[in-house]
Amino acid sequence: MRSNAGLVFALPALVVLFMLIAYPVVYTGWLSVTDDQGNLVGLKNFSAVLRPRVTTQALWNTLWWVAGSIVFQVLLGVATAILLNQNFPGRALVRSVALVPWIIPGIVAATTWAWMFHTEFGIINYMMTGVGILPEPIGWLTRGDTVLPAMIAINVWKLFPFVAIMVLAALQSIPNDLYEAARMDGANYWGEIRHVMLPQIRPVVTAVTLLLVIWGLNAITIIYAITRGGPANRTLITPIQIFRLAFEAVEFNQAAALSVLFFAVVMVVVFVYIRLLADRAGEGT
Amino acid sequence: MNAQTRTGLLALALLAGAASLPAKAGEVTWWAPNWGEARARELVQKFQAANPGITVKIEVTVSNGLPERVLTAMRSGAGPDVIEVQHGWVNGYAQNDLVLPLDDTLQDKADYQKSALDYVTWNGKAWAVPYRIETHGIIYNKDHFKEAGLDPDKPIETWDGLVAAAKALTKSGRSGFGITGGGEVGNTIFRSLPFIWMAGGDILSADQKQVLINKPEAVKAVTFYTDFYKQGLAPKSTLENDGLSLRRLFVAGTVSAYQSGQFDLPAIAKENPKLSLGAMPIPHPEGKQTAAILGGWSYVIPKAAKNPAEAKKLIQFLSTAENQAFYTDTFPARISSLKAERFQDPMLKPFATMLPYGRPVPAHKNWVKMVQAYFDGIQRILLGEQTVQKSMDQVAEEITALL
Repeated sequence: MRSNAGLVFALPALVVLFMLIAYPVVYTGWLSVTDDQGNLVGLKNFSAVLRPRVTTQALWNTLWWVAGSIVFQVLLGVATAILLNQNFPGRALVRSVALVPWIIPGIVAATTWAWMFHTEFGIINYMMTGVGILPEPIGWLTRGDTVLPAMIAINVWKLFPFVAIMVLAALQSIPNDLYEAARMDGANYWGEIRHVMLPQIRPVVTAVTLLLVIWGLNAITIIYAITRGGPANRTLITPIQIFRLAFEAVEFNQAAALSVLFFAVVMVVVFVYIRLLADRAGEGT
Repeated sequence: MNAQTRTGLLALALLAGAASLPAKAGEVTWWAPNWGEARARELVQKFQAANPGITVKIEVTVSNGLPERVLTAMRSGAGPDVIEVQHGWVNGYAQNDLVLPLDDTLQDKADYQKSALDYVTWNGKAWAVPYRIETHGIIYNKDHFKEAGLDPDKPIETWDGLVAAAKALTKSGRSGFGITGGGEVGNTIFRSLPFIWMAGGDILSADQKQVLINKPEAVKAVTFYTDFYKQGLAPKSTLENDGLSLRRLFVAGTVSAYQSGQFDLPAIAKENPKLSLGAMPIPHPEGKQTAAILGGWSYVIPKAAKNPAEAKKLIQFLSTAENQAFYTDTFPARISSLKAERFQDPMLKPFATMLPYGRPVPAHKNWVKMVQAYFDGIQRILLGEQTVQKSMDQVAEEITALL
């Protein structure tokens, strides 16, 4: 029975892992179909969380938040990586400095940005009114049309270095022969980027994007610390709604129901993404 | 609560770091908030000297996230023996069978402010012993009043007077009257519900069967409140300001008057000693009476407390007239404690005159969600998304679903 020996050795670790992952998931599922006395109530919690308008609003906000963040994180990250891949004096210093936003703890960054965006005391308004770009201070965090973009900007600032570092690693593993071959064929600089660089880093970008999707869907820190989901739920994303339901309104069962729904949506998104992109990337290399 | 939910919550409590080590007999664990820590330690020393068999262990709490922490501890049965909570939370604990009735602990009942006792009473029993009460007043900058041609020693009586004063004060980058519309959710109901009461309105009817927030009286008061921002008399940053931000703006001299409790006075004096401070009761509509939400703190004993007898002894000690006067940050809940030297400061007089007008917020198990719905409604008005009537209609609809 040699084939089973490996399994036996791995079993203790597997059991622990299973308990740590499966128990909370199953327990959340159980909470979502019971009331606070533990009686089965079927889908009552689900209808209770789906009824308020705010649930739909939060889902839309979540989609905007994730999509908006990712587009700019990837674009800015790749551009930065290409820049840091060039030879120039002081490159090592610039590389380290570029990492700073990613290293700063989320809560510290959020609090700092909140003060920078503040209507009266914020340095952003101070500088813009000072040089005459704005005639008077703008309430970045209090206008319905600027608050979510402001949150996205902070999130982009926070995570583009991560993309840059990953892509930079991929760039440095591209053999020089490829570039030389391209140049022999008469490719200019943009040709090199299009036909050599981008195809070579595509698998990394794919994997990083998936991570960004998952992180974006779970990101609470920045928004919760700055706006708590306000004003008037303009920045309320589903994870924050779940948190509020559970710990502010003490509706653990409804929060569990919303978690189950959200989990289902996220699974679908991730599944579709992997089917569409990950396969293609595999063929492309 | 079944065993499974209990286990889950116990795990939560452990995660939250809220679980205390198993208490020894004769040891009372007391959750005291950080602002009174030094005084609490002093009182514990006296108590232990008088009761050699009992040791008291203080665990310091902070206001941020406290309601969630207390609830988790109570539900998991892993809580301390004595907790300081806001009056408004007590009813919820009582209705959910999480705390012990304290009629046998409460001494000299006649000496307590009736409004405070009413607040913690449910089903004919007292579920907490109140020790601290407070209401808001209006804090204002006397120099700004002089500059605007107003008499800084003559309190404003009416709503119209307040609007006129705010208009006179709003100039050269200053805002006449600061209102809240952001930050801590509870701050906005604290400042605007009193105006609704003064106008004869309410959020819920007394029997809690009807929602009154979209009736003409309430709409009139909400209009009065939000118009300070709409007419440019409150700061541009109103949608991100809670009580603390208003205090900062007041200290910086960009807000001339705002509603707050007396607990802001020492902080302002420390941050800007040059500022000439004034305080007055909150103005009311012509021919009506003023109102305020009665805030403050009480002691409760969780049902799962390990040493309830010793805990009751500690509460009785903390609730003597002398100790209440010493420990409270604002006013004591006992009438006789008000005689103490520290409450004779003329700055406190306006706040003391507000006390009889203090009212409790409705005791409803979904109150927290209602406050959130109302707060969202206020923000929609301030954002200019909806008219006051439309916004309050939506709030009424959301609150009705919570009844």
